[in-house]
Amino acid sequence: MVFSDLFFIYVFIPAFALCYLLGGLIDKHILGDAGSKSLAARNTMLVVFSLIFYAWGEPTYVFLMLGSVLVNYLCGMAIHRSTARRKGALAVGVGLNLIILGTFKYLGFFARQLIGLGMEVEAPEIALPIGISFYTFQSISYLVDVYRKDSPVQRTFKGLLLYISMFPQLIAGPIVRYGTVADEINARHVSRDDIAEGVYRFLIGLGKKVIIANQFSEIADQFLVTDFANLTASGAWVGILAFTMQIYFDFSGYSDMAIGIGRCLGFHFNENFNHPYCCDSISDFWRRWHMSLGSFFRDYVYIPLGGNRRHQPLNIFVVWFLTGMWHGASWNFIIWGLYFGFIVMTEKYTLLRVKDRIPGVLLHVYSLVLVVLGWGIFYFEDFGQMTRFFTVLFGGGELHDFVTESALASNFWLWVVAVLFCMPLRRQAAQGIARLFGEGTPTEQAIVMTARLVYSVAALVLSTALLVGATNNAFLYTRF
Amino acid sequence: MKKVYTFIICLLFATGAVVFCAFPRSTYSQIEKRDLAALPEFSFEKLFDGSYTREISSWFSDTEPFREELMAFSMYINEKKGMAVQGEENITFHAGNAAAEDDNRTIDDYENNVTADENAKLADSGTIIVGSGPNVRALMIYGGSSNGGGCFAEMVNKYKRTFGSRVNVYCMAIPIATDFYLPDKAKGRSHSSLPTIRNIYAHLDPDVKAVNVYTTLANHAKENIFLRTDHHWAPLGAYYAARQFAEVAKVPFKPLADYEKRVVHRFVGSMYGYSKDRAVKNAPEDFVFYVPKNVQYTTTYINYDLNEQLRVVSESKPYQGQFFTKIKDGSGNAYLTFMGSDFKLTKVTTGTHNGRRLLIIKDSFGNALPGNMFYSFEEIHVVDFRYFTKNMTAYVNGNRITDILFAFNIFNCNASGACNRVVKYLTQRDGTYSAPTPSRSAQPASTNPADALLPTDDQMPDIAPAIDSRQPEQTDPTRPTPQQSALPQDPQESAEPVITAE
Repeated sequence: MVFSDLFFIYVFIPAFALCYLLGGLIDKHILGDAGSKSLAARNTMLVVFSLIFYAWGEPTYVFLMLGSVLVNYLCGMAIHRSTARRKGALAVGVGLNLIILGTFKYLGFFARQLIGLGMEVEAPEIALPIGISFYTFQSISYLVDVYRKDSPVQRTFKGLLLYISMFPQLIAGPIVRYGTVADEINARHVSRDDIAEGVYRFLIGLGKKVIIANQFSEIADQFLVTDFANLTASGAWVGILAFTMQIYFDFSGYSDMAIGIGRCLGFHFNENFNHPYCCDSISDFWRRWHMSLGSFFRDYVYIPLGGNRRHQPLNIFVVWFLTGMWHGASWNFIIWGLYFGFIVMTEKYTLLRVKDRIPGVLLHVYSLVLVVLGWGIFYFEDFGQMTRFFTVLFGGGELHDFVTESALASNFWLWVVAVLFCMPLRRQAAQGIARLFGEGTPTEQAIVMTARLVYSVAALVLSTALLVGATNNAFLYTRF
Repeated sequence: MKKVYTFIICLLFATGAVVFCAFPRSTYSQIEKRDLAALPEFSFEKLFDGSYTREISSWFSDTEPFREELMAFSMYINEKKGMAVQGEENITFHAGNAAAEDDNRTIDDYENNVTADENAKLADSGTIIVGSGPNVRALMIYGGSSNGGGCFAEMVNKYKRTFGSRVNVYCMAIPIATDFYLPDKAKGRSHSSLPTIRNIYAHLDPDVKAVNVYTTLANHAKENIFLRTDHHWAPLGAYYAARQFAEVAKVPFKPLADYEKRVVHRFVGSMYGYSKDRAVKNAPEDFVFYVPKNVQYTTTYINYDLNEQLRVVSESKPYQGQFFTKIKDGSGNAYLTFMGSDFKLTKVTTGTHNGRRLLIIKDSFGNALPGNMFYSFEEIHVVDFRYFTKNMTAYVNGNRITDILFAFNIFNCNASGACNRVVKYLTQRDGTYSAPTPSRSAQPASTNPADALLPTDDQMPDIAPAIDSRQPEQTDPTRPTPQQSALPQDPQESAEPVITAE
């Protein structure tokens, strides 16, 4: 199931909300007492609905996920209980997670490389289980955090299952660290503010996905899904710019929805995006883009390898290789990762040293061009297509035809809205209103909430209309 | 304040949930002219491979209550997200090439003098929207080449060889609106039918008579010979084509003065559903057709009942009906005026007595032809290429047919499955109610959006989807099953390779 599905919005969410509220009543009147507040019934509801949510799209792989959680639960307990063998238990746990990920995501890729080298192996056809890249990474973070004693061990299987399978973040992130939610699994409080903020955040995400990203996906496909016979240079640029918009609004929309639903349940996930297209360098871009992945690699790969103390270039290479590879079992993703690794390294010794003396506009343009070209590498898994795309992009074909104008003109306001929403408009508007009317005053509150209400109603109504009859609607990052 | 916000939004969600779960679900889409998805049947196999839940999700979003309204709203948003671009309305009129119409196998090039400078934009299903305002026109993309259509020529030749000198056989390959109205700036986006038509005519046996309607239509391109909002030609275009055919066949033909002009007002045709562009909906047109005056004729139909695979499973007894069906103003089904549908065998007996009896083997484009021939032939039999249950050889001989006209639009000229089927009619036994099971039914989905509207009539929702019992103007007792009303896909035809631009 995906978030931007009418079935999810109007069947799953209402059904879940009712059951969760019912769970709340059971917790209050049957399981809990004045002294101890119970979350048992609510957590059960959350786990059950999460499993339904996952099984809806992966009716068989749900057992793989359950098995993975069980393994991690046992390893976590072993790390916690044993003193002598805790390192071994960690190694076994992390190893098993990597084996699961390697088997289901990369085995076919490895086999094809071996075949390419002339070896006679059979390339297995294994379908990628949705969200496996996210939940194995979360499992690894759990084991390492328990090992490092950064987080307490999860003593119940249900608790760990809740953490891993929680449907808001299950299939496309953000990669929620165990430490972030460890306390909230068994003790959380939801205020009215939480619900209002959470619902608002969810609708921001829904709007980003349905109103913006889905439209851009049509534009991008119009130019990029092609045999290149008709593609012009201007079309290639518009196509890849449309994909640039699509992937940001798609992925950050999903993160918004996940954070929003989590908030309504009392969980506080970390932010995953911070207006990445406002970056002034590629290093800056990666501090703003998919932050949960970047920090995962920093804390669980880069620093353990030695960080900037030992063989830093090697560490950087490894991290970017893995960052690329995490996105998919294909060379283009690895190249895409190394491309950014190379730029980040270069920036470290050049640009970042003189950055203060360069006008902001130039820095911004420089970064965006490199990011957009990066998406060109990212988009095409087939090398022949990628080469032809870049040839056309840099003028090795027809330069222009009417289709480009038509894609720009007939989506004019979409482009305008998208560019505006790439900037921290909401934050600036909120700050402006606070300055004008005084922070926390009733007038300020009234204006803010009215604006939110207008936006929310519009987003929900528009999204619903746009989703009717929509077919090609899956989130991009559920593939990774 | 936050309480109010949460309350209103939750109320909105709850309302949506109640409406979408409890209100009666939509079953038919007027805009797309198709029946909507049905609730999938449960099986454990489907549950475990994930298709059951997937079908539930798509069924849910396909059959939303108030679907039409929401869809219209969604198209409204899509229209508003763009900037209005005004096309230059400097249409220059040139006299068309006065081609030598006696030699029907040599076809001159046509230069678009009507909409050459218009604006163009790409819309859904690879359609091209030309111009703006009340004269907007939606075009299909054609991907065929100069190698296409060989099967069509072979089929026609086969008929000629079967019946020999007793029967005249004519070949009419009908171009589409794109051939005449594609603006210059969109030239690279669609091929012309002309190379295919030339190829077809080059492959015809010498004793088959070609009917060059390409030049005929080109000469009248500034008139309303094609519908702007539908994929069919307009009855006027068919009239000129019929005149050209009459000239080749050397039969009498009457000027338009002998016809009564009738109009279905506010017609918006199939291209709206394809392009999903509101500019098309906002530019309805008059569907003008011509009913012969001063001639007696009786129309006899045999109706076919079809199964889900669009195979004929049974047929009605012959009965007399109207040739011209009354269609209400504002209906999207105006093209059903002629004979009401494709699922039938039609025989028209006219008051003309000249010993000439015509059989037309056609797709839906051909439906607009016979109404112009009542002065020309004493009997006209109309067979849709997709549906025929008798032995064609016996049918032609038994009805003492003197002339056979093949009239296919350029997409179907490329459909070798269609051609093979029509050849099979020559030898099939009387009462053939189900054709052989398809041997190659799977066709890889094309990734090129430009192919979406290619290549055969069988893949286009033709006029079939319009048949629906909810539309009161239908006099046709044939009520196809839901699947027929969706894209009619014949397994045999769909196995044919998709024509791609090359």
